[in-house]
Amino acid sequence: MEIVTSPNFWTAMLVLGVVLLVGVSFKTKALLNNVYVAVTISLLIAVAYFHLVDHYLMDMQGLDYWYLFRK
Amino acid sequence: MGGLTRNKMLSILALGAMVGLLLLPIVVSMPALAGGGGTPAAGGPPPDVAKKADTPEAAKVEKARDVYYKTEGIVTGAPAPKTADNPQFYPRYNFESRVLLWIANQQHLYYGSFVLAVPIFCMIIEFMGIVSKDKAMAKKYDQLAYDFIKISLTAYSLTAILGGILIFTFLTLYPAFFGYLSSIFRPVMHIYALLFVAESGTIYIYYYGWDRMKEGLLKWIHVSMSVVLNVIGTTLMFLANSWIGFMMSPAGVDEQGRFLGNIWHSIHTALWNPLNVHRLLGNMAFGGGVVAAYAAYRFLASKTDEERAHYDWMGYIAMAIGVAFLIPLPFAGYWLMREVYAYRQQMGITLMGGLLAWLFIIQATMIGILFLSSNYYLWQAMGRMRGAEKYQRYIKYMVFVLVCGFLIFITPHTIVMTPAELKAMGGQQHPVLGNYGVMSAKNGGINVIITTTVLSFIWYQRGNKVPMVSWAKFGNIFMGCFFALAYVNIIWLAIYGYYIPANVRVGLSVPQVATTLSCLFFMTALNLVMLKGAKQSGAIEWGKISVRSQYALIMLATAFTWMMGLMGYIRSSVRLFWHVNEIMRDNSPWAYTHTTGFAANMISFNVLFFWLTILFVFFLATLGVKKAPAEAKVSVPGRVPEPATGH
Repeated sequence: MEIVTSPNFWTAMLVLGVVLLVGVSFKTKALLNNVYVAVTISLLIAVAYFHLVDHYLMDMQGLDYWYLFRK
Repeated sequence: MGGLTRNKMLSILALGAMVGLLLLPIVVSMPALAGGGGTPAAGGPPPDVAKKADTPEAAKVEKARDVYYKTEGIVTGAPAPKTADNPQFYPRYNFESRVLLWIANQQHLYYGSFVLAVPIFCMIIEFMGIVSKDKAMAKKYDQLAYDFIKISLTAYSLTAILGGILIFTFLTLYPAFFGYLSSIFRPVMHIYALLFVAESGTIYIYYYGWDRMKEGLLKWIHVSMSVVLNVIGTTLMFLANSWIGFMMSPAGVDEQGRFLGNIWHSIHTALWNPLNVHRLLGNMAFGGGVVAAYAAYRFLASKTDEERAHYDWMGYIAMAIGVAFLIPLPFAGYWLMREVYAYRQQMGITLMGGLLAWLFIIQATMIGILFLSSNYYLWQAMGRMRGAEKYQRYIKYMVFVLVCGFLIFITPHTIVMTPAELKAMGGQQHPVLGNYGVMSAKNGGINVIITTTVLSFIWYQRGNKVPMVSWAKFGNIFMGCFFALAYVNIIWLAIYGYYIPANVRVGLSVPQVATTLSCLFFMTALNLVMLKGAKQSGAIEWGKISVRSQYALIMLATAFTWMMGLMGYIRSSVRLFWHVNEIMRDNSPWAYTHTTGFAANMISFNVLFFWLTILFVFFLATLGVKKAPAEAKVSVPGRVPEPATGH
């Protein structure tokens, strides 16, 4: 649980998603347009992005987004 | 190219000079305005209320503490008058004075909002015309901007007349209160009047100089003038906001209401900035709605296809601008409410959890109607595009999502019931629906509605286009995943709010809003990139849109008007029995809160009155147009929106 509630984990996921996106798009457009690859990369980026939004925007208000999970 | 750059430079210089000249009086008077007690003639109260320096008791300077800023200042004003229920303080007819003031105030505000918003549209559209490389399109934008300003010019005269009526109403029915307010804001009121003169001059030169300043450097100066016009207009609004901000959250005075010499404190109250932002966005959305209704009216009255094409296009542009400002409006409102709570918690509770809470349910209903109407219009508008049929089958799902969000958004926390009803339901809250009457659920509801509206816009943009970029499939999948997860995040945060303490829950609205805004900014940008070089499956057939869509525009404008009236009433009545909150008590016989039904009737009356008069304004705007029908018929290329008439 500690790993999941860490913003570093989600930042790493976001970076991984972007690296995959860049890597795949450099390799071949056909692979990028593959449904499974596209869904995987998209989900990775979007899930990580929204977790970071939730975490940091609560943190900026001095609040803990992971309150329930830490309990 | 060199000529264009030189023109731009010269126009920037001309603009700088104009702004400099306009701001000069304010800059010159600034030291006097902020000069504390040293210069009471500029920043202080009238001489009759200030202590004379040569009297023995005034020789010792009296100091007091600012009720809001908590700083010490020299007392330079008289205490707020203690009024009583008699004709000396409240002269009256055999009628409720508050109702008369309500009508005068509301009508002035409607017209004021309209004439502040429309020049901003003109500025944007005229600029688009100047930078447009397509000459035909540039001409169309120019004509559209001209059409807009033409409507606002007649409305401008009415605004001034209504402003005069408002001041006379204040002076004759509430002289003690108005005397006190003007004793504090005297320099601000003078600057306001001077700015009004400057705005009148600028708007008339802007309008009547349209044809003479249509090319080259003069055109740039002309568009620069619209910037000046809007700077003045917005400053005027900010100054007027300082008065209502002072009435709600006074500052710059001590607890007796005595002015402490710093006018900036009285202007810059706790609620001034949130009010400024909220009103600016609200005015823009309202202005867009009214112009869209004008276009709808002209569309419905059109006799030719060309006119229909033009007014269809005009309605679409006005609606798009209006909705662009409508989307951030709930967030600005949320900020205002947060600041109200921060200023006085009791005031916030009165608004959203007490006496006025039911009005907020009505407000939620109106907001829902606005978004439903906007979506409905966009779906109808897809009818004028070949290729947009592919989205039709998804609309029913969007309706479902919108209706779910809407129903949650309007669910009340508690309702007024008879004892029998209370017993039958088992308590103040319904066992199931009561759960949706809390902010956590409502925030989820409204964010789902706004996100769906963004999705409708993106579909509309794609209506007749097929992305041709090599990564189009990935882009579509990414967009789909992003929207799906945005919905999941919004709903998840809404549910999560039920399981955590209130002090943590209150912060969840910020990431919810950020999620919605992420969809708005990132997905719109991604969509535009994807549509670069897109294949068109058919032209947009302007004018070929259902009549129902035009009624949706009229509905949109009416709902804006009604909601503005409602929110104005809520904001004003939250002061309860105070003219100036906790400083000057309202002792008139009308210092009570009206019933919801009476307030709704008053708002409806104001809306009806405004629309009847603005229809007359629309009619006046058509009189000039009818003079040149032959010219309109000549310039008809067909499906593209073409100006219906010359200037």
